[in-house]
Amino acid sequence: MRRVGFSSGAIAYGDFMGALATLRERRFPCLELSALRISELEPLIEALPHMDLSDYSFISLHAPSSFTEYEEAWVADKLFSGVPEQWPIVIHPDAIFDFTRWTRFGRRLAIENMDRRKPIGRTAHELSVIYEKLPDASLCFDVGHARQCDASMTEAFLILSRFREKLIEVHISEVNSASQHDPISHGAKIAFQQIASMIPEWIPVIIESRVTSAQIVIEASRAIDALAPARVA
Amino acid sequence: MVARRESMTALEALERRTGSNWEHLRIARQSSASERVEITEALDTFSTADASIVVVGSLARGECTPGSDVDWTLLLDGMSRPQDEQLARDIRQVLERIRKKQPGREGAFGTFVSSHDLIHRIGGETDTNMNTTRRILLLLESISIGRPDAHSRVLNNILFRYLEEDRGLWFGSNSSKVPRFLFNDVARYWRTMAVDFAYKQRTRPDGGFLLRNTKLRMSRKLLFLVGMMICFDCHTRFEDPRDRVEFYKSKPVEAVIDRLRLVLAQPPLEILASSLIPYSTFDESIKKLFTAYDEFIGMLADETLLPGGLTKRDHLDTLHVDKIEGDPVATQAREISHRFRDAITELFLTRDTELGKLTIEYGVF
Repeated sequence: MRRVGFSSGAIAYGDFMGALATLRERRFPCLELSALRISELEPLIEALPHMDLSDYSFISLHAPSSFTEYEEAWVADKLFSGVPEQWPIVIHPDAIFDFTRWTRFGRRLAIENMDRRKPIGRTAHELSVIYEKLPDASLCFDVGHARQCDASMTEAFLILSRFREKLIEVHISEVNSASQHDPISHGAKIAFQQIASMIPEWIPVIIESRVTSAQIVIEASRAIDALAPARVA
Repeated sequence: MVARRESMTALEALERRTGSNWEHLRIARQSSASERVEITEALDTFSTADASIVVVGSLARGECTPGSDVDWTLLLDGMSRPQDEQLARDIRQVLERIRKKQPGREGAFGTFVSSHDLIHRIGGETDTNMNTTRRILLLLESISIGRPDAHSRVLNNILFRYLEEDRGLWFGSNSSKVPRFLFNDVARYWRTMAVDFAYKQRTRPDGGFLLRNTKLRMSRKLLFLVGMMICFDCHTRFEDPRDRVEFYKSKPVEAVIDRLRLVLAQPPLEILASSLIPYSTFDESIKKLFTAYDEFIGMLADETLLPGGLTKRDHLDTLHVDKIEGDPVATQAREISHRFRDAITELFLTRDTELGKLTIEYGVF
């Protein structure tokens, strides 16, 4: 059985405490704390010692998706010193200005493959350019982004083939034409199942679909279903 | 995404190995590259993540000569917008401004096309002649001008249809691994072009016969050959048959798509040359094939005026069908095409090579 959980941002955008409260009773093993906006980062880090996260066997933190060149050093320092060492830090590669500021994170830094609005980090080839600069960084594979870039899932196949060793976390959701995270559709499920066998069962899966409290359990079940390999040899 | 390579290493290697001089092909490649740069600059802001400008024909094949058209399509793979028609009109205007010859407004090219029909309508009543033409040319000889995102996605999705639904490829008892669904569509397109040639002979009696006929015997036939080669590559790229069995066992559709995209990123002549590299004992036939093609391109590129004031290309385009017999240019074109045909027969209708065996097995029945 896959280990799944939600991104706090998907459950309550900008309200990680509210998201934690909503998720507590569902007892998922995985969690991603989201600080997608830079203004969320400091309050989130300051709140960490006061959160009850004992139910979770896997926790990651999503770094801000956008900051200025002048804020970059502050963001990197905050993450490096404020986030527990065993937590992966997911980052959008297009947010980075100076890659040398991020090399010290090593495998803790998980580069996320991007949706098609972004100029870099969308394909295996584009990711390889980033890993040349951050050779020790790991991969947070967003299967919804990969499908949005190439519905045949060839690009997903290439990313997973090429960076299998780097894979540390999966993001899952339907990514619509406006690049918003929606609940997983039947079409997305069929596509995700094509490459599901390439994702080891022990890799934590974070659901990014924006769902209401009532939809949480059914969406988790959809995510597990979507990552059940479909193709028989 | 795969960018088409500018160098033609296999073709150059064959040129050296056979002691040939295929200078017309070299010049055409250079002209095509400069044309592409000029068009890319002119259409700088027209392509987006959901819309690629796709070019097929001689420019895409790297066989551009002075009379060549720019056969373009605005390929849409995203939301439909009312402005799409205007965009296509504006592309036409920009190309007119930089004096590029374009296809007519009512044909398969020179307009916008949605990805949906290309991906979903393969076979059946709704797969029109125009849709088949667009799909097969997109697969076998297209390049994108500007952002390639939509072009790349559509190519992957079309290949996915051909491969994923080809049950025989994955589960068939035949040890040959050739995607028959794709192969049959390529073969069907080749026959469609031949039938359409006869149709046009009837509906356009006043001209174009000989130029169309020569293109059918040369560049259209080359395209069919290349379609065959990419299908055969699915089988021939494995040196050890055990590796082939192992590879196909898990139905790796995406891996085959990736491989085919790598092959298709080369221009058709280069794909053919790469396929023929291993067959050095057939060098005489290889030389004959590419020399004939080089002369064909040279003929189209020749801007010397004949006594009637026309270039050879224009002469071929305007010569009436009743006056072909005894016409020196027509005779030259026919002779070139016969050498091309004979070389193909020597290389592909033989049981002495893997390519020949596959051609006999798949190309006939």
